[in-house]
This record gives sequence, C-alpha cells and structure tokens, in this order.
Amino acid sequence: MLEVRHLTKRFGGLAAVNDVSLTLNKGEILGLIGPNGAGKTTFFNCVAGAMQPSEGQVLLEGRELTGKKAHDVCRAGIGRTYQIVKPFGKLSVRDNVLVGALNQTRNVADARRIADEALELTGLADQRNVLAASMPLPRRKRLEIARALATGPKILLLDEVMAGLNPSEVELAIDLIKTLRSRGIAILIIEHLMRVITSVSDRIVVMHHGEKLAEGAPSAVMNDPKVVEAYLGEGFVAQD
Amino acid sequence: MSTMSTPSPKESIARRLAPVLTLLLLASLMALPLVVTDTYSLHFIWKVLFWAAIAAAWNIAGGYAGLFSLGHAAFFGLGAYTSILLYMQAGVSPWIGMIVGSLVALCFSLAIGLLTLRLRGSFFALATIAFAEVLRIAVVNGRDVTGGSEGLSVSFAPGLVNMIFQDRASYVVLMAAVLFVIGATTLLIERSALGYSLAALREDEDAAEALGIDTIRVKLIAIAISAFLSAVTGTLYAFYILLIEPTTVLGIGFSVEIALIAIIGGMGTVLGPLLGAILIVPLSEYLRAEFAASLQGLYLLIYGTILIVMVVFLPNGLISAIRDPRSVLRRVRRRKSASSRPEEKADA
Amino acid sequence: MTAIYIQLVVSGLLLGGIYALVSVGLTMIFGVSRIKNFAHGDLVMVGMYLTYALTTWTQLDPYLLVPVVTVALFGFGLLLSFALIRRIQGAPQVAQIFATVGLGLVLQNAALMIFGADFRTTNSEIAGNVLRFWGISLPLSLFIAFVVSMAVIACLTVFLRTSMVGKAMRAIAQDRRAASLMSIDVKFIDMLTFGLGTACAGLAGALLVPLYPVYPTIGANLVLISFVVVILGGLGSIEGALIGGLAIGLIETLSGFFIGSEMRQMAYFLVFIAVLLFRPAGLFGQRGSETLGS
Repeated sequence: MLEVRHLTKRFGGLAAVNDVSLTLNKGEILGLIGPNGAGKTTFFNCVAGAMQPSEGQVLLEGRELTGKKAHDVCRAGIGRTYQIVKPFGKLSVRDNVLVGALNQTRNVADARRIADEALELTGLADQRNVLAASMPLPRRKRLEIARALATGPKILLLDEVMAGLNPSEVELAIDLIKTLRSRGIAILIIEHLMRVITSVSDRIVVMHHGEKLAEGAPSAVMNDPKVVEAYLGEGFVAQD
Repeated sequence: MSTMSTPSPKESIARRLAPVLTLLLLASLMALPLVVTDTYSLHFIWKVLFWAAIAAAWNIAGGYAGLFSLGHAAFFGLGAYTSILLYMQAGVSPWIGMIVGSLVALCFSLAIGLLTLRLRGSFFALATIAFAEVLRIAVVNGRDVTGGSEGLSVSFAPGLVNMIFQDRASYVVLMAAVLFVIGATTLLIERSALGYSLAALREDEDAAEALGIDTIRVKLIAIAISAFLSAVTGTLYAFYILLIEPTTVLGIGFSVEIALIAIIGGMGTVLGPLLGAILIVPLSEYLRAEFAASLQGLYLLIYGTILIVMVVFLPNGLISAIRDPRSVLRRVRRRKSASSRPEEKADA
Repeated sequence: MTAIYIQLVVSGLLLGGIYALVSVGLTMIFGVSRIKNFAHGDLVMVGMYLTYALTTWTQLDPYLLVPVVTVALFGFGLLLSFALIRRIQGAPQVAQIFATVGLGLVLQNAALMIFGADFRTTNSEIAGNVLRFWGISLPLSLFIAFVVSMAVIACLTVFLRTSMVGKAMRAIAQDRRAASLMSIDVKFIDMLTFGLGTACAGLAGALLVPLYPVYPTIGANLVLISFVVVILGGLGSIEGALIGGLAIGLIETLSGFFIGSEMRQMAYFLVFIAVLLFRPAGLFGQRGSETLGS
C-alpha cells in the first residue's frame, strides 16, 4: 500500500536517513524502532511531506507522493501525529478534530459529525467542549490520534503516541490502535517502549544511524544480534 | 487561554445569539441617520463607521488569518485611486469604479501573497510595508496621472450615479451598509470551513498542514477578501471626502491606525473592530479638538501608549475584557509573576 | 567622467557605513532576543534630537557630544528594555510587532510635541570642511561618520567573539534554553543587548546630525532602510549588516544618480522585495532563519 524506496535525507553533509526502503501492507501494523537519533522522526517527516527527501520515492497505492506538500499528502490519505503534540490550544477538543474532518468534507455540519465519531472512537467524547490547551498530556496524545483519524486516512503515521503514558493508559492506547487497524487503516508506528511495539506490530523495521538495520517479525528482530548490539551501545532498555 | 472552562449551556445560548445581536446592532447603526440630522453628528457617525469598516476589513487578514499587515493602506488607496481616476478620466460611475478598484486591490494582494506568504509573521508585516511604500512612491512620482503628492480632488457634482450626495445621511447609510456587509462576511467566514481552517493555522501551521489544510491557499483567500473589502471602503472614502492624497491614503501611518483599531477592539472577532472604532474615534476627535493647536501629536502619542498597554496586557482586545472581565485580572496577575519566570519560549 | 562614478561609489559606501551602524543594533537585538524592533529608527531619531538639543544648549560641536549621546541612549535602551521589551519577550508575534510600533508612535509624537514638525539642522565647525582627493570631494562629516561606524562595528565584533558577555550573547542567540541552563542570566543579557543596540542607534543618530536635518518621522525611513539592510545581510549577522549596509548605501546613491532622487527609495524597496523572494535567509543568515519570524 505504502511503498518507500531508498529514502535519503541529508542535512548538510549528514545523512539523517540513509537509503531506507520499506513497504506497509493493507491492514498491517508496522513498527519502526531504533535508538535515539536513529532518524525515525525524520523518516516520518519525509513521508508525510513535512520535509522534502533528498533522494528516494514515496508511493501510496502506486501513486507518487515524493516531494508533495504535507496537506497534499494528507489529502492523498496519510494521516500523522506529532511526537511533540501540537493541539490547537484555543480551540475546543471537538473543533480540533473538526478541522481534521474538513479534509473529507467542506461542509461544517458533516465535519462535526465525522469529528464526533472520531471522538467516540478515541474515548474523548465527554471532553469535546474542553479547550485543548487545558487537557493533560495523555488526552492530548489521544487528541492527536483523533484529529489524524478524522482526516479519513488510509494510513496513519503514529509518532510516539504512548510516550509519557502510564501502564493503564498504554493498554487503552494499544486497544485503540488495534481498533483502528480493524477498521482497515494501515499503521506505521514509532515507539520507544519495546513491550508495546512487539505486542502491537505485525512486523518491525529497526533503524540505526539513519540506516535500516533489520526487518522482520517482532520476535526475530528482537533476537537479531545486530539489533541487540545497536541498543546495547546506548544501554539496553527493552524491559521498561 | 482566556476561558479555561467548559462552556455552560447559558454561554452557548449567548454564543448562538451573538451573531444575531451583532447584525441587529449594525442594522440599528444604519438607522441612526433617521434620528440624527445635524451635519457634525452625521460626520462623526460616518467616521466611526468608516474606521470600523476598514479595521473590520483588516481584521479578516490580520485577526483571522494571522497576517499582520502594515500595508493595508495600499489596498485602500488602490480602491480610492482607481475609482477616482476612472471617474475623472473616463466618466465611469464610482459604483463600477468601486468594483474595478476592488478587483485591482484583490489582484495586488494576491501578488503580494504569492510572493511573501512563504514568509512568516513579522516578515510578512515588513513585506507589506515595502509594497505599500513602493506604491506610494509610484503614485507620488506618477504626477501626470495621479496628481503626485497634491493628490486628486473631485468636483462636487451630486447624483446617485456619481456616489456624491447632497446630504450626509446618505453617506452614513452607505458606509453602514458596507460595514454590515463586511461584518456579515466575517461572520460567514467564521462559521465556514474556511473559518475553521484559519483558526487552526493561527494556532499551529504545521499541524494544520498535516491535517490537509493548504495553509498558503487559505491565507491567500483571506488576504484577497480583506483587500477587496478595504478597497471598497477606499472608494466610499474618496467620494465622501472628495480628495485623496498619497500621504493620507497610502501612508504607513494610516496602515498602522487601521491595525491599531482592530487590535484595541479585539482581533479575530466580529465586533472587535466596531468596538475599537467606537472607543478610539471619539477619543481622537476630542484630543484633536482640544490639543491640536497647543500640543500637536498628543493624540498619536496617546494612541501609541494605548496600543502598547493593550498588546502587553490585553492582547485579545477590549472585547475580551467585556466577555470575561475576570480573565483580564488573571492575566495581569499572571503577567506579573511571568516576568520573574526564568525561561520563556523564544519564538512562539 | 570616471571621477563622477568614483565619487558616487565612494559616497555610496560611506553612506552605507552609517546604515550598517544603524542596522547592527537592530540585527543584534534580533539575533539575541528574537525581537524585531519596529521602533529602531525612532531610537536613531531620539539620538539625533538629543544631539541637536545638547548642541543648542551647550553650544559645543556635535562631535564632542557623540559619547554623551551614546551613553545616554544606552541608558534609555536599558530603561525601555526594563519597562517594555522584557514584557514582550517570547510573546506572540502580534504583540512584538505592535508593541514596538506603538513605541515608535510614542517617540515620534513626543518629539513632535517637544520640537515641532520643522526640520532642524545642526552645524558643526568640523563638518563644514570638504575633503578633496583624486578629483573627488567628500564632506568630512560623512567621512567621520563612516570611520566611526566601521570602528564601532569592528569593536562589537571583537566584543562578541572574545568577552564573556559577548560569548553569552552568542550562546543565547544559538539556543536560549540551553544558554539559560548553562546558568547564563538570559534576562540580564537581553537587557544589555537592547541597551547596546539602542546605543548603536543613538551613536548613528549623533553622527547623522551634521549630515541630515532631523524631523519627527525620520525614524520611519530609517527603520525601513535598516530592515532592508538586515534582511539583505541575514538577520542576526553583524557581518551581514555591514555588507548589507554598504550595498544599500551604494544602491541608494547610484539609483539616485541614474533614476532620480525621488525613485531611490523605490530602488531599495525593490531590492528588499527581491531578497525576501529569492533569499529570505539573507546573504549571511543562518539557514532557515526566515522561519524564525514565525
């Protein structure tokens, strides 16, 4: 469904992402992991159009998306969340999500209906009239997902949506991700928590120093000596 | 930031009633000339309506799209000059000239927008100053056509076709009608997909882009509407005053005053510019009448002071103080404690 | 004939030197505190009026008063920073733009109330002289202004590179938060920077007095010129302000000669627009600095 070919992003002389290729299949959850500074978020930004890749291609269902602006990428069916949440603080939660829903319709009443569905699904329905800025971080992370969901994506790029959540919130988030998948949305997820990523992903891609280090089923990847070594290099924290 | 709580049902009713009240208020302003008849009062009311209209036009770009233009005089002046020149040189009725002038301003705004909207915040403000100044210098130097720095004056030839009227009441009704149109346009924008998109990009452009909003396109629409309506106001001004000079209608000072009224009243609200004009115009009339001879410049000095105090302590304008007086007190208190906070975001 | 061109180029560069000095203050304040001071030109105007007033009062030559005016404007800058600028530090864009626009209005109209709208000129014994060499002639005052400007810019560069305070300023310019974590007193440095920037504006004003008449709205022209210079050179870059200043001085003089004096403002606004379009980071700006305006 989503195909990334030989994606490279250089900042000056430094390649933050170097020749990374991956494929996301329909209905799949693909985990993207790697130590800090591995280039995961840069990779996301290049796919989502927030940055222009230096080389390589991004294809959605065979259609070229390389170098398209972020709003075109969203329109084409790729929704994304930000690692550092970016809520529209002075808007209500419902209006935040409504803005996302405008990607599907220009009619405000329709958009409101879509927004309410997304809020229901993400468990934010009772918060709809609260101002986004006044919500605690776990809910704002949820709001990021709700907004991206309301754009009607075929693919969701989730960037560390569980960082900073407590264990029970993490469980809720995992359930939510699985629900989204059951609705036919393919998900590419960056996550630091190993336990989460291994339990939720169908496949995992490991990045290190901007390059793809390994790819495969969660169990296989976690036992790959190269991967273990990459993580040991900065203190292995798989069990947190 | 101003209202942190969930709106109670009472508030949401008030919110629903607000547009109706706004339109009623504007309609009643239009009816004012039926009651008031003396020339001075009518001129005064016209001035309030005029400043409210031009500030409301600015507000669509500045308040709603976050495009802090300091060159709106250019759009206003393009409207005024185009319609006057068409009228004087070719005998075209100002009603047609108004549309032509507004389209010229709209094209000019699109050109500025396409060239500068990649830039953000204060760069845009600077670019608008530069464009307005280029226009002003061109007008001053194009003496043969534009009359240079002396400007252009229209002879008094009353007639509906000429948009020149014997009685001031007609001018007041006309300006009130334009204010009504601008207010209604603003209200429509606020409630449309465009309005939500603008609200989103004002908060966070990257997030808005990621949700499928073509931020450049949305801003272009806002600045184009704003420029068009500014130019309409420009034509009305020209055919009321019957004299336009580049320093008055194209100067930076004028651009700043436009923005100032919208900011003082409350940017990004329908009623803010009207409130700003209702407060500022009488103040400036009083100060000018009282001190013009003895203390030239006093009123602008006071303007400047009010502007500083407003943006520092009441950045959402007077309208926010009326809507929620307690939030203002909270804000002032927070400001005080904030000034001792060690670290703040460098560029918000 | 070539003498005319040499004359034009030399006087353009000399004029540009003063523009550079005006702009250095603006670019420093932006670089360190991320504040775009729309009242910067009006601070030059304050420097000019202060020089004018002191000269009239003391009957001394304006050049003797340059240090006094510079120090006074440094103090004025600290005061403004304490009273206003620190309150808009980190505030939304609209507050920064319009608070400084408001400050400009206040300063302009205070000057109007005190001195009236008339053009005021100050004569200097020294400035009356004209330098003649290689077939060209230059007013000595322009030459002095240029030399002082260059010296001040050189001192500032050395100051920023070597002194503790200068290093702190550069650290804040790069990363405010990190600098504050390194126990740099960010607020203090902000104030100092604004004081220094204002002192540069005042110094430039004092040097301009023998060259140009002063009037209340002269700052509006100067602030636009210095923004053009700063954006051409790259926001936050001292070298950029120098090169940008010289370039704009040249452009102004040459276009004044070839197209006519009314159109010379047009010329640098067009340059300004071109720079915004093609190289918004400026010739020497940090990459991506155009988005710092957000």
